[in-house]
Amino acid sequence: MTTFLAQRFLSMLLTALIVSVLVVLLVHTVPGNIVQQMLGQLGASSTEARATLEAYFGLDRPIHVQYLDWLGDLLRGSLGESWNQGTPVLELVLRAFWVSAELAVLSLLFALVVGCVFGIVAAILRDTVADLAIQTFNVLGLSLPAFWVGAMMLVVASNVFSWGPPFRYVGPLDNPGLNAQIMFLPMLALGLFNAAAISQFVRDLILGTVRRDFVRTATAKGLSRSVVYAKHVFRNILVPLTSFSGVIFIGILGGVVAIEAVFNLPGIGRLLLWALQTRDYPVVQGGIFLMAIVTLLVNLVVDILYAVFDPRITYA
Amino acid sequence: MTNRTPASRRHLLIRPLAVALTLLLALAPAFAQESQPLDQLYGAEPEGAQQGGEVVVGIVYEPPALDPVHQQADATTAITVLMYQGLAYTDWDGTIRPMLATSWSASEDGLTWTFDLREGVTFHNGDELTAADVKYSYDYIRSEDCGCAGSVYLNAVESIEVIDDFTVAFHLASRNSAILAGVADKLTAVFPEGYFDNEGAQARLNQTSVGTGPFMLDEFRPNQSIRLVRNPNYWQPGAPYLDAITFVSVPDGNSLLNGLRTGQIDLAQLARPQDVAQLEGVNGVSYQEQTSWVQKSLDLQAGGGATEDLAVRQAISLAVDKQEILQAAVQGYGQVIGLIPAGMQERWGAPLDELPMQGPNPERARQILTDAGYPDGVEVQITTIIGFDWMTPAAETLVSQLAEAGIRATIRRQDLGVWIDNWGARSFVDVTLNDWGTVPDPSLLLDAHFQMEPVGNDFRNWNNEEATELLAQAKQATDYDERYALYVEVQKMMAEDAITIPLFSSSIIAVERDRVNNYVQHPSGWYHGLIRTWVE
Amino acid sequence: MTVRNDRRLVPKGTGPWSRLATLIQVLRKNRELLIGTLLTGFLIVVLTVPGVWTPYGPNEIDTSKALQAPSTAHLFGTDELGRDVATRVLWGTRVTLGMVALALGIPAVLGMILGLLAGYFRGPTDAVLSRAVDVLLSFPSMITAVIITGILGPGIRNGVLALALVYIPMFFRVARGATMAEANQTYVEAARALGVRSASTVSRHVARNIVTPIVIQFTILFPAAIQIAAALGYLGLGVQPPTPEWGAILNQGKNYLFNAPWISVFPGIAIVFSAVALSTLGRGLSKALDPDARR
Repeated sequence: MTTFLAQRFLSMLLTALIVSVLVVLLVHTVPGNIVQQMLGQLGASSTEARATLEAYFGLDRPIHVQYLDWLGDLLRGSLGESWNQGTPVLELVLRAFWVSAELAVLSLLFALVVGCVFGIVAAILRDTVADLAIQTFNVLGLSLPAFWVGAMMLVVASNVFSWGPPFRYVGPLDNPGLNAQIMFLPMLALGLFNAAAISQFVRDLILGTVRRDFVRTATAKGLSRSVVYAKHVFRNILVPLTSFSGVIFIGILGGVVAIEAVFNLPGIGRLLLWALQTRDYPVVQGGIFLMAIVTLLVNLVVDILYAVFDPRITYA
Repeated sequence: MTNRTPASRRHLLIRPLAVALTLLLALAPAFAQESQPLDQLYGAEPEGAQQGGEVVVGIVYEPPALDPVHQQADATTAITVLMYQGLAYTDWDGTIRPMLATSWSASEDGLTWTFDLREGVTFHNGDELTAADVKYSYDYIRSEDCGCAGSVYLNAVESIEVIDDFTVAFHLASRNSAILAGVADKLTAVFPEGYFDNEGAQARLNQTSVGTGPFMLDEFRPNQSIRLVRNPNYWQPGAPYLDAITFVSVPDGNSLLNGLRTGQIDLAQLARPQDVAQLEGVNGVSYQEQTSWVQKSLDLQAGGGATEDLAVRQAISLAVDKQEILQAAVQGYGQVIGLIPAGMQERWGAPLDELPMQGPNPERARQILTDAGYPDGVEVQITTIIGFDWMTPAAETLVSQLAEAGIRATIRRQDLGVWIDNWGARSFVDVTLNDWGTVPDPSLLLDAHFQMEPVGNDFRNWNNEEATELLAQAKQATDYDERYALYVEVQKMMAEDAITIPLFSSSIIAVERDRVNNYVQHPSGWYHGLIRTWVE
Repeated sequence: MTVRNDRRLVPKGTGPWSRLATLIQVLRKNRELLIGTLLTGFLIVVLTVPGVWTPYGPNEIDTSKALQAPSTAHLFGTDELGRDVATRVLWGTRVTLGMVALALGIPAVLGMILGLLAGYFRGPTDAVLSRAVDVLLSFPSMITAVIITGILGPGIRNGVLALALVYIPMFFRVARGATMAEANQTYVEAARALGVRSASTVSRHVARNIVTPIVIQFTILFPAAIQIAAALGYLGLGVQPPTPEWGAILNQGKNYLFNAPWISVFPGIAIVFSAVALSTLGRGLSKALDPDARR
């Protein structure tokens, strides 16, 4: 197992490094840089001012030198400083990441709970009214954009209940009550969409598994239906469900920008968007590098869970 | 929701009076300026003001950094004016008033301006303000080490001399009527001597402020909030009343409205003035509508492409129906303008009916095009900038207006960074929508944009020697009538050549909850008003 | 050898009429396929002839008629420039669905080819391709879309490109997985043993069998892709004005939620309708093409 892990970590690092090279190339290709934002319309033509500022940020050096500099910082455990404010990038990015991660975890848990319940009920009560209702919910939930649902929720809340989530973000460790209020609606908006996805997935998966031979064998052996489900069917859906959950988690993190914009959350999506718009290269590079590591870690965790859930899979 | 009539009506009455007064003052030789009583600085002292309390202000555009000299974005200046001050400041009616200088006078030849500094002023770090700090700060801004956009406002300055601890002299290379505006709020501020000599000083401004202003920086959390606290050693007695201000970053206009509805936000300038209609019937809020010093315009490329031909530019100018665009872009919350922002029209604007090439007159536009050899019309590209909400409906309406004159236009949206890149290189294509303005000094507004190189930047490649000369004369003239006549002539030239087509100035709508008292919105969009604001 | 409890009908003849009869019988039994086909069919009709349903054009600006509530003249009211909302949404069908179809179609084909190559040839080909896909997956999707449009500029074509990048890995994985499963089947080994050249084995046997899961994946992803396109429009990327596009209209509509909520309603309905149509079609197709997965 340890060799497997070691190999995976090395592989992860390699992928992350490739990502970092691509990011550097990409952001430098986007036209305009931070200097122009600082100088604005008025100072845009001033070549001396541009030269001064570009030297200040090291933008006058060739790209590979800038990249190696960044890499050097990385090896020393630092992601550099934000060009906008000078705050260490690692601090900025982590702080934003925990906000998004909290949202992603809460939404995923909500979606798993609701989705599994709905999916199982729909599968067991196949072709009844309940099944139809749940499937309708699934289709609707998957069709409405999460950020739009969120915006509608805010409008309803502020107009009908005169309530809105607190504007200033506080973490769950600082003030759990306030944090819950902040996270409640966005979790719901994201969670509903993903609950629909999971519900449909679980239902299809169960019904697919039920038709498989080993289940029919078990039923033929005389095991009761609930035992069959519990022992055979559910265990067989754990692995695909885990994989799916991993995909959902990454998907949430990847697309979280719109929800963060609607609900005013200082998450990683918003940070990266803002850093990109202001051409704050260290933050963009550091942020995407972190996201890459997270994605790869999630995949690793999913693979490990495979082995946990399905003893036939080993990584010796 | 009530329209905060007391404040705005009072404003409406005061403005024409103030303008008349200023005109009178301006007619007299503007060489000497008496100091203004302290209780008039930043507005009159309100009755019944209580000390203490905090406000939460929602902001749509977050400043990338709290650096008043290196960051030119209005989003930054709006907040840094609460922490940093210059020798002068621009009052609500556009008059330059003493701030860190108590009075100033110019020599006979107009080449030396001597400023008497205020005594007893301390920076946030405890240092006392002396002439050495003033010299250092303005020298730094002018220097290459700064890389500051504001240096253009000081380009007439040759050297700065410390006369004694509280007197400083600016030696100019040529006369400059705009020098006072140049040492006021935008892009200039006074720092302690030697501040920027240390490494990382610029970045540190985002943790600790070192200005002389009524508020100090407590904490800056990017994408979240900026918290300012009262400066306990502020030199102006009585002000400010608030203990702290928290600016909360809310990029989504709807969330801003929700925050105002639920009371989580006490005060906000609306991202779109027409959003105020969405607060109809909400209790506990009121709003004020303020004329702006910023203009929304069409800028045309004279250096190449379809608009290089004067006839095409004139046709575009004739085809534009500014009133319709005002309606489409901001649902009418603003004013159609001539060649300069609405807030400057009374003092410096050429009368609208004297300006040539004003639309809507699509038939004449077609005629001009046909006469110039475009019987089938012409194709142009219109650029809008992502993030400027008013531009899309304005551009869409413009397309249909131009179509009536035989001009086929396509719209292209650009990211702001890309746009600035093109703008700086003077290579924007055909027509672009633009959003610009500053304090109401015509020299600061027009010179950099329309004077030829190397004096100005001539972003639109107008290459007009006569205009450059006229603007230079106007900058040096001291008599108000003379300056006014020159600027009117330049505006007529700008209109005739259709080098820029300012459309409208949108109103600034500031919404506040009832607990906020005496917030008067500054026409620049900056937050000066918070200095005299108090809460229950 | 498994006994297939397969109730698929065996056609009695092979003429065109009996084929039609088979099709009708399949549709009758497979409710989802029927509904899905009808709904999607309707969408395709609207897509092809968007102009016949209303008397207005999508870009008829008339500021005097701005923000009018729904009436007999304007079924879903007008927007802030006086344009008929219903007309814009109908014309937007082509734009949004076209964008999404391309944004999914390109990765479907590309992912299928690459996945096929990786799954069949294994070894270094697989290693390189899988690594490249991993790199792609590690980029947060929306930010990547923003970067791409930043470099290439906003516009439909670049929006499609940005979206397509997001979906290549998914199709790649499906194709690769299906290929590896198929490639291990006995018939392929037999073909190889008989000396049949790789290319023809791949094309005739393996490829034909992975097209089905790709097609199913396509229809399942479609609703989700519409959402991402809408999110892009919401962030201000994607199409150029004045092109009507559902996400962009939603984006615009949220600014007038209180005084003109109708601007937001119709594009929302359109999005839901399309998503329902395509996901139902997808499920119907997967039921029809994969008899083992009887529901």
